[in-house]
Amino acid sequence: MIDRSVITVDRDIEEVADALLKQAAAETSIELNNVTVSFKTPKGVYTAVKDINLTVQKGEIISLIGHSGCGKSTLMGTISGMVKATSGEVYANGVKVTAPGPDRGIVFQNYSLLPWMSVYKNIMVAVDSALPNLSGDEKRVLVESNLKMVHLWEHKDKLPGHLSGGMKQRVAIARAFSINPKILLLDEPFGALDALTKSTMHIELLKLWNLDNREKTIVMVTHDIEEAIFLSDRVVVMNNGPAATIKEIVDIPLSRPRNKKDIVHDPKYMEIHDRLLNLLIEKFSINDEH
Amino acid sequence: MKKIFSVQSLISFGYFCAGMFILGGIWAGISKLTSNEIPSPQDTWVVFKEVMQQPFQDDPDYKGIGTKLFSSLGRVGIGFGLGSLLAIPLGMLMGSSTIAMRMVNPIVQILRPVSPLAWFPLGLAIFQDSPKASIFMIFICSLWPTLINAAVGAASVPQDHKNVSRAFGFSTWKYLTKILIPYSLPYVITGLRLSIGVAWMVIVAGEMLSGGMGLGYFVWEEGFNGGNVAKILVAIIIIGIVGSLLDKCFTWLQQRFSYAA
Repeated sequence: MIDRSVITVDRDIEEVADALLKQAAAETSIELNNVTVSFKTPKGVYTAVKDINLTVQKGEIISLIGHSGCGKSTLMGTISGMVKATSGEVYANGVKVTAPGPDRGIVFQNYSLLPWMSVYKNIMVAVDSALPNLSGDEKRVLVESNLKMVHLWEHKDKLPGHLSGGMKQRVAIARAFSINPKILLLDEPFGALDALTKSTMHIELLKLWNLDNREKTIVMVTHDIEEAIFLSDRVVVMNNGPAATIKEIVDIPLSRPRNKKDIVHDPKYMEIHDRLLNLLIEKFSINDEH
Repeated sequence: MKKIFSVQSLISFGYFCAGMFILGGIWAGISKLTSNEIPSPQDTWVVFKEVMQQPFQDDPDYKGIGTKLFSSLGRVGIGFGLGSLLAIPLGMLMGSSTIAMRMVNPIVQILRPVSPLAWFPLGLAIFQDSPKASIFMIFICSLWPTLINAAVGAASVPQDHKNVSRAFGFSTWKYLTKILIPYSLPYVITGLRLSIGVAWMVIVAGEMLSGGMGLGYFVWEEGFNGGNVAKILVAIIIIGIVGSLLDKCFTWLQQRFSYAA
């Protein structure tokens, strides 16, 4: 992680910049080089995203934001390995992505828990597959600690059908965390939750991230501006598809820990919020002219 | 848990009695119209009690109704069991693989409409033994509903579940045991329920053809050839009750293995 205090130290500025660059290069978590994804459809080839270049540092939280169907989920799929890039390369943790792997934990849009298994078994089956070298006891400890972390240990024997949406989402997050991935990929994780549950979940997610010394890289797909600002270090705004590209990458220089109540009154927050809103709404007006 | 003696079940029982009473009335009416050619409910009840004496007698010259029932059930069980053992994996294979589906489906579509009874002489030719031929017939006819339902179940595994399997790197074995089979299970049970229904219908016809043992033989030999229509009616009632009990078992299984998403 980049230690920002270094910058304030009175040293040769070039030396510092050099050191920072080196450090950054060493700790690149995700790298996308000219990634294009096309699908064959009955109507011909459909290009979802085109020529995407993006570098994410270790421990960064990045949001992909854009309108429905702009290819943000597809783009994230190329990082998880669920979607194959038609051209270009994706590197995760320094290795070229060809398939999903246990170094990347995924939280799906609709939780995707297996309804015939208890909460405990849902996590155990994932741990069992992704970390086959652990002993039975180590696996049990891992499942227990992750379930306790999301405060669901007392619900461990319930079937997912008996849980609320927020609880299911916490199980899905615990499942992704339990395989201890270096990269966490969240596909509209809080989209189906009500506003109150959503706020709680944001804080829960950041708590988990903090517990892990902010070492996990998190990439999140969302269409909620407030959510993106509150959670992210950078927000990647996508153009509308087909052949969507990155419109702009907006930095969120708000210090952490962030407070949900105070942050909205921060002038910087309002500025960023306006900027993102403009980036997204501008597209609406262009569409309206057609 | 539902209480057995709740008001609801009392009301249901009341309606059941009313229905039975009306049926009994019609039956008695028909009996009168045919001047007791069709025996009345009372006469049938007398024969019923007579048939029910020593139901499990198993002498070479006389076998009780219970013995006959269990010999029929045994044959259904073996044929249905063997049929299911083949149909469940084959159906799941068809549902998971388009190649298997394209190869097997046309054959299934041709063989499925064939009357189960048409398989009986073939079974007889193969096994030279009529009980085995009956089992063969049951085996064939209990294949289709299970096969088709298992295929539908396996083919409709949601993408979400498959994604979980890919994301966490499930082995093929884990995918089979933790996703494919649990997801298809309710479909398979529906197939089994239909199959056991068909099998139970067919066994009676098969035993009429084969002779020797079972409820079908009882209907034909002691009922029709023996000129005792009341025995036919008794057999119909027993076959009906046992059939509905078999169905109830699978309905219970269906409820047991259905999950809220």
